[in-house]
Amino acid sequence: MDPVLFSQYVLSGLVIGVIYSLMALGITFIYSIMKMINWGMGEFYMIGSYVQYALIVTLLGPDLWYVAVPLSMATVFLLGLVIQRFLLRPMFVGGIERRDEYATIITIALMVFFRNLAIVLGGPNQYAPPDYARPLTLGTLPISGNRFVALVGTLVLLALFYLVIKQTWVGRALRGAAQNRVGIQTAGIDVLRLDMVAFGIGVALAAAAGALLAPDFLVYPENGAISTFKGFEIIVIGGLGSVLGSVVGGVLLGVIEALGSVFVSASYKDLYGFLLLIALLVFRPTGLFGERERTV
Amino acid sequence: MKGRPGISLLVALLVAGLGMPALAQKPVKIGVLTPLSPPGDASAGQFIVRGAKMGAEDVNARGGVLGGRKIELVVEDDAGTPEKGAAGFRKLASQDQVVAVVGQFHSSVMTAAQVLAEQFKIPVFSTQASARGITEKHLNYTFRTHVIDPDRVQLWNRWIMERGFKRVALIAENTDYGVGLVEETKNFFKSMGVQAELKTIIFDRAVVDLTPQLLEIKNWKPHVVLNGGVGTPVYLIIKQAYDVGLFPAVPMLVSYDLPVRPEFWKNLGEKGNYVSFIVYYHPTMRLTGRGEAFRKKYMAEFKEDPIYGAFNGYAQVVLLADALNAARSDKGEDLVRALLANKFEGWNGTISFSRGEGPYWQQWTPPMLVTQYTRPEMPFAEVKIVFPPDLKTGDWAPGPKR
Repeated sequence: MDPVLFSQYVLSGLVIGVIYSLMALGITFIYSIMKMINWGMGEFYMIGSYVQYALIVTLLGPDLWYVAVPLSMATVFLLGLVIQRFLLRPMFVGGIERRDEYATIITIALMVFFRNLAIVLGGPNQYAPPDYARPLTLGTLPISGNRFVALVGTLVLLALFYLVIKQTWVGRALRGAAQNRVGIQTAGIDVLRLDMVAFGIGVALAAAAGALLAPDFLVYPENGAISTFKGFEIIVIGGLGSVLGSVVGGVLLGVIEALGSVFVSASYKDLYGFLLLIALLVFRPTGLFGERERTV
Repeated sequence: MKGRPGISLLVALLVAGLGMPALAQKPVKIGVLTPLSPPGDASAGQFIVRGAKMGAEDVNARGGVLGGRKIELVVEDDAGTPEKGAAGFRKLASQDQVVAVVGQFHSSVMTAAQVLAEQFKIPVFSTQASARGITEKHLNYTFRTHVIDPDRVQLWNRWIMERGFKRVALIAENTDYGVGLVEETKNFFKSMGVQAELKTIIFDRAVVDLTPQLLEIKNWKPHVVLNGGVGTPVYLIIKQAYDVGLFPAVPMLVSYDLPVRPEFWKNLGEKGNYVSFIVYYHPTMRLTGRGEAFRKKYMAEFKEDPIYGAFNGYAQVVLLADALNAARSDKGEDLVRALLANKFEGWNGTISFSRGEGPYWQQWTPPMLVTQYTRPEMPFAEVKIVFPPDLKTGDWAPGPKR
């Protein structure tokens, strides 16, 4: 085996894994705060990619793609706030007994709704914004400029997320909500408002992934399906609720899929991540960085 | 009491007057089952629907079929998946009671639909599904007016031999179409005596990152790459091959006519330049009277040259109308008999169906050409035919090394 080629496979897996972790982070963050799984996460990725495309093509032009990324995130953040306020908040205030089922039904309905809305508004065809950057070489790996931009963008967003969570008042409140929703209310924090912020941030992270990957993976109504799928795999591998687990799980999944698809068969690329997932569930059911739930 | 017979007579006349034309004008329904949403190649489905609708309009403008009955199209989305295709076919057959179904694009969907066509005794037409097995099963109600993969593969093998490529990489999706292409290419490499090494990779159609596979191909140092994706994967392969430095330094041949679509350049920009691709229609082609009339009408309506899918959708509806008239019946069995016994004017020649050997069963094949883009944003009308030699209008050009 040519070591250069091997390093290219590993690097390509690592790059895509880091980018996928953004999606996983959004899913796990929403779960940590609201204790619900957002099954429609891929559709926020999809909306992010459509908004990015629309902004570049109609308003900003190809040179200002980097302005379009935060604008796409902001748009989806606001959409997230509205959805949380009117569709998800009732599960915390309306005396609903089966919250998990409620959240599942609502988010799956949103998934179907947004996917069909995209077909109605944009048609079923693919779109692609102009490239963000020219192809370049990262170490031994010849890589798309867009993919490199997405990698850097993801790392910046992960760092920002870490800073907000660790250094700000809102971050402390969010960490508190993740630990004990009832407890932080005794400290005078409006946990329902915090839910809105958490949901908005979570879906904005998915939108960022969609916006960053739009030129490479194209814009079309079902483009979020594959990243949602990866996102869920990653959070189980990394541990539900763990930020570090999202990143490490993403990288592991990316590398394993890249190597498996080359050394075993490309036909079963999705299978390799599942094998890792099953092995982890057998030997470490909480995932790599997840913790057992403690109740008193 | 006096008025009653008069009223009854009036009512009877009204019923007769309204009812008889209604019965006479009961439309003949033709189903268009085609991909109109992902993961199917929805763009292809849209072109097929355009053509089929214009075919129905054409027939209706000429007075309809079976003594004045109008053709009514019922369009159903198969989303490129066998399960949705099967559900759509059942709905068309049982609820809408169509007399035939056209529009099939994905081979895997066609494979599911043709089983139901036998059960319901309704002819189903492959408009652009090309897997060998579709007509090789020798089913009574399956018809095709599109190329079959053995012919496609023989064409690209001849092109490979003409160009002298010695290392050929084929990357294909894991569908009936893609897997079929791989098997056919392996078989015909032997039987045609192609003096070249062949590397094949089959990828999962749902996967969007094909970088590892394209790096593997690049490292193998091929002389040509055959792109066996359908829809989105075609674009992903071209884009990602460009990004890893494989294409255009190494030539790429797309297995069907996706690059003629208007969105090709929008999605790929300069990355799409130098791509070679197989087409079944070229604007310089000589068409039949019907084909030429369709082309003019299409250009007037859509302000662009029609593409093959639209031509074929149109031709299938029109030939079905001819077959209905020849059969003097809208029953499936009668329609099949009429389809086999008659010749029909297609868009570029006379279409007839016979029960030949192997996959040449109820099969009519259009021409196939290899073309190439040689500058970004090049309109399809200006594209040169580079193969086969007897139809060639320009020379094939290698892409620049980066």
